[in-house]
Amino acid sequence: MSEESDLPQRGSKMKRIITGNQAVAYGVMLSHVELISAYPITPQTTIVEELSELCARGRVKAQFLKVESEHSAMAACIGASTGGVRAFTATSSHGLAYMHEMLHWASGARLPIVLVNVNRALGPGWNIWNDQTDSLSQRDTGWIQLYCEKNQEVLDTILQAYRVAESISLPVMVVLDAFVLSHTSEAVDIPSEEKVNGFLPPYSPKYPVDPMKPISYSGITAPEHYLEFRYKIEKAMEGVPAVAREVDQQFKSRFGRGYDLIERYGKDGGEVLLVTSGAVTSTARTVIRNLSEKGWDVGGVKVKMVRPFPSQEIYQALRGAKKVAVIDRNISFGVGGIIAQELRACLYHRENRPPVFGFVAGLGGRDITPDLIEEAIQYTLDHSRPDGDILWLGLKK
Amino acid sequence: MGNQIVINHESEMPYVPISQGDMEWNKTGTWRTQRPFYEDKTPPCNAACPAGNDIVSFILRIVNGDFEGAWNLIGEENPFPGICGRVCFHPCEVKCNRGRFDEPIAIHALERFVADFASHLPGQKVNGTKRGEASKRRKEKVAIIGAGPCGMTCAYHLARRHYDVTVFESLPFAGGVLRTGIPSYRLPREVLDRELSSIESLGVKIRTGVPAGPAMKIEDLRGYGAIFIAPGAHQSRRLQVPGERSRHVLNGLEFLRAINLGEEIDIGARAAVIGGGNTAIDVARSLIRLGKHPTILYRRTREEMPAFEEEIIEAIEEGVEFKFLVSPIHIREEKGVKRVECLRMKLAERDETGRRRPVPLRDSSFFIEAESVIVAAGEEADLSFLPRGIKKRDGIVLTQTGGRTSFEGTFAGGDVAARERTVAHAIGSGKRSAVAIDCYLRGEDPERVLQSLLAGNGPSISVFPFFHPGGTSRNPHVVAFEELNMDYFEKGRREKETKYPFPERIKGFFEVTAGFNERTASEEAGRCFNCGTCNECENCYTFCPDASILKGAKSLSHQVDYDFCKGCGICFTECPRRAISLREEAR
Repeated sequence: MSEESDLPQRGSKMKRIITGNQAVAYGVMLSHVELISAYPITPQTTIVEELSELCARGRVKAQFLKVESEHSAMAACIGASTGGVRAFTATSSHGLAYMHEMLHWASGARLPIVLVNVNRALGPGWNIWNDQTDSLSQRDTGWIQLYCEKNQEVLDTILQAYRVAESISLPVMVVLDAFVLSHTSEAVDIPSEEKVNGFLPPYSPKYPVDPMKPISYSGITAPEHYLEFRYKIEKAMEGVPAVAREVDQQFKSRFGRGYDLIERYGKDGGEVLLVTSGAVTSTARTVIRNLSEKGWDVGGVKVKMVRPFPSQEIYQALRGAKKVAVIDRNISFGVGGIIAQELRACLYHRENRPPVFGFVAGLGGRDITPDLIEEAIQYTLDHSRPDGDILWLGLKK
Repeated sequence: MGNQIVINHESEMPYVPISQGDMEWNKTGTWRTQRPFYEDKTPPCNAACPAGNDIVSFILRIVNGDFEGAWNLIGEENPFPGICGRVCFHPCEVKCNRGRFDEPIAIHALERFVADFASHLPGQKVNGTKRGEASKRRKEKVAIIGAGPCGMTCAYHLARRHYDVTVFESLPFAGGVLRTGIPSYRLPREVLDRELSSIESLGVKIRTGVPAGPAMKIEDLRGYGAIFIAPGAHQSRRLQVPGERSRHVLNGLEFLRAINLGEEIDIGARAAVIGGGNTAIDVARSLIRLGKHPTILYRRTREEMPAFEEEIIEAIEEGVEFKFLVSPIHIREEKGVKRVECLRMKLAERDETGRRRPVPLRDSSFFIEAESVIVAAGEEADLSFLPRGIKKRDGIVLTQTGGRTSFEGTFAGGDVAARERTVAHAIGSGKRSAVAIDCYLRGEDPERVLQSLLAGNGPSISVFPFFHPGGTSRNPHVVAFEELNMDYFEKGRREKETKYPFPERIKGFFEVTAGFNERTASEEAGRCFNCGTCNECENCYTFCPDASILKGAKSLSHQVDYDFCKGCGICFTECPRRAISLREEAR
């Protein structure tokens, strides 16, 4: 970011053409983060570069902590957050996998850390391109997961993430697609600092470190208490959708834009509803609009929140659909697309549940083209039931 | 066990696992199998100091800017810091652990700095010891023969013990070899006078011009509870070669005495000085200052010279000529010119002193011409005036612990009773005898008391606990380099004393070496590892994982909270200077 990229003055509007990673940096700056600890990895690197420069220039008043690994990056965030400091880190793929142990620790300690993960496929074969398997394989670590469709949403979601995290005492992972968002420029409205300050108050921990009243954190917990702590985490998770909706409402009234946890778009009803998450949703919107104009009875659903999985919102969104087609840019080997699997589990107890067609596409950064999306919709229209749990799109065979 | 918190409903629990009470009821000290404790140990410098100076303690005072306190502390052990800081051969520095790291601490220069600083203090303070109060005066009298470093040290410590001390000196002035043997360019007379008068001011009586011998027999001294014999060694050893007794063949100590007492001495332009010890160097450098041309003849090489290295270097700088592997066999004289016939030597196998033995080369005879020959081949003690029947062997008086002789109530020390003849050894000897005499007069066992005062493995003793009973004393264990934690030290250069430049300095007998100033002294003192001595660095406090190092408002309390210390030993390991010990827990 250059000198001229400073924030807009009070009352003025400022739109900039920036990449997704720059949007992350703006979001962190506006959130008044006090500790940034990160280890660079493609395609996250430019986030770290931007932030280190902002810190060096004093534009961001944060301690920028260089560490030797992602494991330590998260450990540093845990320490800082325990100490009452708003903490941030960003990573991708192998870096996130390396953080795994500390991800559990952060949620177990109920620390409102925000992490940005730029989706990237895991090796081998060595691959730096877009794929959601890295973040989705962390879905059981107790982190709230929010997937973004565009750069504006990335910036806004970071601001919302700290609000949600700090009000419910759980960490949030904000996810964006490698290159498609991280390195692609879009017009982004950058809100003024004053406006953000009114939305996001300073962080005050519930159990601050007080040398005069020492307590020990995260100590040994015997079987007689452990279960209850897990129960409390689960209860907090279950409360997240309501809190996130409320925060999004406030955001909307303040900034004039918002993001549903689950967004239903296109015409009502619909013989086929197409479910996507992440940047591919933008492509899906165009395909759905074009097909609707041609008279196809199709609609779309965008899944922003994957953890907790907002089953109530999902069920509402899918109501009336005869069939559901899911495009998963991820895979859980032996089961299939992870979102499809979540949907099936969510619908199982419901009446009039539609069949779920689980398509897997675009792994390792292969483009998910409009044709490919149309192919998936066509297949779903043509079949009353899927031929199997996994339907491969664009497979060379 | 403490209060157990019973939880019946999850709502009674916090949402994160944090402690709800404290664990102070759980005295984890019971897990301990080894126990750390603060214990000052003996630094190698202290153990190596024949005078028993508590070096690290006075250096710590310098670090803290308390120069007067440093001076008072030295005075507890040694009345001659200004002298030792100048003329001692500082074996302390040879043993200094810092020598294994970069360069040893310039201990001698620090000691001198402290003494020079104190010389500017107002009033008549005497090393922190006040003139004996009348009420404390003891009735016992002690007689001391010889007002040299040994006798005067003994007098000093006995006066501090409130004895009535009289020193008998054969010469018209006190000081012994410090005055007659050491040239003033090494030891200015005002330094000597100042430190001697400090001792006198404690009430010590010095009777000069009273030689022991036929006129005043030691066995005839009446009314003294104890007698201490410390006359020194003032006879030069002979070469045992023909021509040695002729005119213009002088011995080194006679020559130095004449020079140091300002006597006129008839000596030609060229002088051959025979010997390789400090006396030979003192003679040669004095001759240079008289405008003469001295040549030192030594039968071994420079490596074997017993003289101090720095003295040799300064002598070379000043123009003293050296001829090594040369041994005189005959001194002849023709028309006022002496011809010293010499043999060339080579070094053979090592002898009992560990030095290689010189053996003559065949047909190597040659001559060196000189107007005078000065023999400085070692000193001997004159034992002729001693009481008949006192036990002697090989030219020294036989003594037991603390200098006890075979005569009841009679002690001997210094050069007359030892082969190691240095100022520091003389001071140490006088100190030990002062303790032994005090014990003798009070009917206590000197053996036991001296043993309890040993600094390291001895024979050096520290008399601080003797004068201040009840205080803490050091463990005699000498701290080795390997016991220090070098992670906490940075390399740093040793400060150097400045020298009066050559050639101006040979124009007189003024002092060659200028001492430290406050800055250089503080810098140098700051390099000290403080081996075995807590300097409040607080590493233990910082590192203790159980917060079991207790600290007062400002400084360490040197207490371990044994209720919670688990004996992990981290304090012991992280102490840079081994001031903490660890021993197995006895249960």
